[in-house]
Amino acid sequence: MRPLLGLRRAASVITFALGALANAGCAGHEVRVRDSLIALDRGSMDQAVAALDRELGVKSPGELPPVTRDEALLLLDRGSIHLAMGKYERASRDFGAADQAIEVLDLSTSKAADLGRYVFSDDAGPYKAPAYEKLLLNTLNMLSYLARHDLNGARVEARRLAVMQKYIESQHDEGALLGLGSYLAGFTYEKSKQRDEALLHYDEALEYAPYKSLRDPLRALTRGQKTTHEAVDALVEGAEPLPPVEETGEAELLVVVGFGRVPSKTPVRIPIGMAMQIVGNELSPMERREVDSLVLQGAVAWINYPTLGQGRGGYEVPKASLGEEILPMEQALDVEGEVRSAWHKREGTLVLAAITRLLARTAASVAVAGATAAGINAAQDDRQRRDGSAEAVGMLLGFATSLTMSALDTPDTRSWSTLPARIAIARTRVPAGKHAITLEVRGQRRTFDVQVDAGGWALVPFFVLR
Amino acid sequence: MKTARLLPLVPALAFAMLAPLAAGCSSDPVFVRGSEVKGLDDPPMSTGIDKRDMEQLLHENMKHLVASPLAKAWADAGDKPTLAIFPMLNETSQHVDSQLQAVLSDAETFMVNSQLVTVVSRERQNQMIAEVERQNGGQFDPNHAAQYGRQLGAKYYMTGKVYTSDERTAGGRRVQYFMFMQVIETETSAVRWQNKAAFTKALLNQD
Repeated sequence: MRPLLGLRRAASVITFALGALANAGCAGHEVRVRDSLIALDRGSMDQAVAALDRELGVKSPGELPPVTRDEALLLLDRGSIHLAMGKYERASRDFGAADQAIEVLDLSTSKAADLGRYVFSDDAGPYKAPAYEKLLLNTLNMLSYLARHDLNGARVEARRLAVMQKYIESQHDEGALLGLGSYLAGFTYEKSKQRDEALLHYDEALEYAPYKSLRDPLRALTRGQKTTHEAVDALVEGAEPLPPVEETGEAELLVVVGFGRVPSKTPVRIPIGMAMQIVGNELSPMERREVDSLVLQGAVAWINYPTLGQGRGGYEVPKASLGEEILPMEQALDVEGEVRSAWHKREGTLVLAAITRLLARTAASVAVAGATAAGINAAQDDRQRRDGSAEAVGMLLGFATSLTMSALDTPDTRSWSTLPARIAIARTRVPAGKHAITLEVRGQRRTFDVQVDAGGWALVPFFVLR
Repeated sequence: MKTARLLPLVPALAFAMLAPLAAGCSSDPVFVRGSEVKGLDDPPMSTGIDKRDMEQLLHENMKHLVASPLAKAWADAGDKPTLAIFPMLNETSQHVDSQLQAVLSDAETFMVNSQLVTVVSRERQNQMIAEVERQNGGQFDPNHAAQYGRQLGAKYYMTGKVYTSDERTAGGRRVQYFMFMQVIETETSAVRWQNKAAFTKALLNQD
């Protein structure tokens, strides 16, 4: 009898330990960025970066951690905040490191991770960035190179963007064309005096949105001549050619305002009945029967899965002025719209995956309980003393298994959470010299003093991530 | 006792359930010297340009230059004409500007040691470029290379461009590099020597 008592005690201790571990188990990604986002809401970008540095395990914003798993996402977040702070070199460095890591993660496969995803949680595997994040990574990095007048670096990002766009198009992903990236690539090549490439990218941008701010630059680039680009020709049709700024002695200013924040992913628990209404038709008849049986037994009532929370600042209208003159701004990109659109395509799959994991957990729990009870009973048979303790211990361990696996089922809330909800642009010609540009959005107002030479240009980014 | 034999199953079971919790743990990286780890320079660690690629590029290009009629003419004349070495244009999809600078420095060292030409000092060259390009922030403009060469009094200048053919598929990313190096006669803008070196870097899914 003693060994059996020992077995019971051991099982109780393990159950307790597992329960404790389960409660202290891995939190989702949303917890890792929470402090940073709260600091951004307060307008404290230094604190937001410090919070990310703590998560990255580095002592200063100048450090890059080894990127093995989700550090790439934290670097993307830190990169956007550095961009908003006007620390463009740091932004480029963070974006560059994240870009390289995401490329590696994107091509990595792991049977263990696949199994983990199937049994434990969607965030068991490496992060796979959605199309819009990959494209915006090169877009925002191009912006940070342009902000410091580095056309060489911006051209590299423009080429990387083109490679990624082509790849995403080949995967039939509708998010392949995000106009802002093509607009900035066109600007980069135009200022690099590579007219043909500039026209190609502007044409792509115009397929996404009819950017009015491109009309004058294209009047200058096309000089009244037809091109092979339909969207370009349509925009300048009927307009007189315009001499380029190199000839008029003027300069050009491009203002890019990013504001608000895209909705973050948050974990939710929904009743199994509701989940079945969302994706019930996607389950096989056998799976449906299993779920129905579990519901009838009262064994399960809820499933965990991630959803999108509220965005911030989506409907703000930024204000821009050049001295006393109001600068008309136009929307360059509705990032929140892209995020929601991509999410709606995946939401059903995620709910389905959560139900599948629920079934896997229940099966594992039943298997552990059965195997334990059978093993103990086999031992007791020797002495012809079956008292039902084996089933109790089996149930206990089965419960422990289910509990642990449930606790590990953290909804995959990983995303680039510091992307602006919207990005607006203004572009204008100015006389060479010094200019004061005042930008205002989301309660923040800043004046930038910009010096431009004849034939020169400047790009002024202003990001308010609150 | 069979019951006693079952006891070891309990920790095994616990281990099986706890294993995923430990899956997130990883070991800390350590810094090493090349001399401590045999073959440290061998494995590629990115799709950028590394030391081995630079050595290959330089070896191929300089070997070709030394065997060219231009080098033979320099050697025969023995007058060591002045050569300026200008930045190489990065037309790739990778941020490899600093590596290209290193390639140029290696080329400069090679040309100095070859005793075939007199190489213009990099400092003087940068001053000249900054003076000509004052309005563009002092950045090198390849379109003005001949002008810099003339103002430096260089009879020849060496320059080049690096291009990539970059492709991404579901299974990998391949970057093919093509490096063109040229020696141009400043007075006539005639290309007196040109060579192409190529190599490929890739990130592949091994499944």
